[in-house]
Amino acid sequence: MNLRSWRFFVYHGFQNILRNRVMSLASVTAIMVALIVLGLILVIVVNLDVMMKEVESKMEITLFLKDGVTDSERSSLEKEISSWQGVYDVEFISRHQALEEWKRQLGDKGSLLDGYTGENNPLPDSFLVKIEKPEYVNTIVEKAKEIPAIEEVNYSSKVAEFIEWLARTIRLVGMGLVAVLAGVAAIIISNTVRLTVYSRRREIGIMKYIGATDWFIRWPFIIEGLILGVMGSVIATGVVALGYKFLLDRSSYINMRWGYLGIFRLLPLNEVMLYVLEASLLVGACVGVLASCLSIRKHLRV
Amino acid sequence: MIQFRNVTKVYPNGLCALSNVNFTIANGEFVFIVGASGAGKTTLIKLLLKEIEPTSGSIIVDDVDLSSLKRKEIPYYRRKLGVVFQDFRLLPDRTAYENVAFAMEIVGASPKEIRRRVPAVLSMVGLGSKAHAYPHQLSGGEQQRVALARALVNNPSILIADEPTGNLDPVTAMEIMKIINLINRRGTTVIMATHAKSIVNAMRKRVLQFRKGVLIKDEQEGGYFDEP
Repeated sequence: MNLRSWRFFVYHGFQNILRNRVMSLASVTAIMVALIVLGLILVIVVNLDVMMKEVESKMEITLFLKDGVTDSERSSLEKEISSWQGVYDVEFISRHQALEEWKRQLGDKGSLLDGYTGENNPLPDSFLVKIEKPEYVNTIVEKAKEIPAIEEVNYSSKVAEFIEWLARTIRLVGMGLVAVLAGVAAIIISNTVRLTVYSRRREIGIMKYIGATDWFIRWPFIIEGLILGVMGSVIATGVVALGYKFLLDRSSYINMRWGYLGIFRLLPLNEVMLYVLEASLLVGACVGVLASCLSIRKHLRV
Repeated sequence: MIQFRNVTKVYPNGLCALSNVNFTIANGEFVFIVGASGAGKTTLIKLLLKEIEPTSGSIIVDDVDLSSLKRKEIPYYRRKLGVVFQDFRLLPDRTAYENVAFAMEIVGASPKEIRRRVPAVLSMVGLGSKAHAYPHQLSGGEQQRVALARALVNNPSILIADEPTGNLDPVTAMEIMKIINLINRRGTTVIMATHAKSIVNAMRKRVLQFRKGVLIKDEQEGGYFDEP
């Protein structure tokens, strides 16, 4: 197969698509839908992965104290914790302060907590322990758990675990969905190619008499499938990119509102879209080629 | 050289289309295959094109037994053959020129070769002036000329014609026969299946006559007459 033959195949591949516009459009739409879902999942999972790492590296531990710990016990505890390796700051947050903070977060709904002031405050006193490096977190947590005055240790790896679980679930459910949609797209593409094979059966017959090789006859149809798949993936990536850009443009607002949580930072557009483009091109091209091969096997008796 | 050795073809439905056929055609010969409908003419041509396989016996073309050809080798074998049919089989969305060029494209000829060779072949069949007409703009005789040009453009050593004049009036048919005869005089072996008695009798070429799958006559400078 020389370059000229390839030009012939590509030309005829495009011609097949143009001759069969309605079915081609249906094929591109089907593969596009599947790949948009794939793109969305990738965008979410990639962001969650980064978010998870960020949370894990956020080195703050909250130690909740038991009720009835005296002030002197408290200050000696504070000193002890400060002396542990890796701890660089220990801040005491009284139950009163904690309630105020909670009220502040609720904003104008803060009055809901009015009945919990004073003796009715359900929140415990706590220490906010800041740690130099993530590798110290586990030892500090273990040590803190052994101290009788400490009721509970709260550290962000639980949040990280949740995010990890979320990412895993989205990936699993999403990939299942993508597989189903890609299957539907494959059926539609292979049907489109079948129609082109049918409409070109005269030409195929003539090609056989003139002595065209089997592959010479097959290639234009495979390229037709490839083009349909690639067109779908390019459009899908475009749609996902537009949606993500829309979200990014509004993320400054989101950050303003929720930024103190420090985890709602979306990754830059081109970084995420590179993954999405790669994945959807790969899946789109494979689905397109496989679908047309299927059709050729069944309907192109060369 | 083309040899049929004890060739029998029985179709799956039990119809015996050819039974124990033997003949040899030398290079450069002009041979008519004649007989009534159902005599086995079309089966013989399909066997030569290796579209179907004989039930028994062997077909040898230029020292190659067709049954030994692998699937992959069939296209290269067919490039030795030029084929024309009763119904022309041109591509309706291409001009005469493009129909002929198509045959060169699929065997991988260069654009330069195509530009040089296609007009030459078209003028040889007398269609030089109508190169850019579409099949529906051409008469039956002109369409068959395009088909002939397409069959010849890759320089086949054998021209196979299946009822090439079947759809044409007598005058046009004779014009097509002149071209086929010209092609034969240039050295191409011609095998033509037909039931047009007037053409066979006018040409005085070798005649292989079949009846119900049996070769009943093999005659040099023969004729084709009503069977008793």
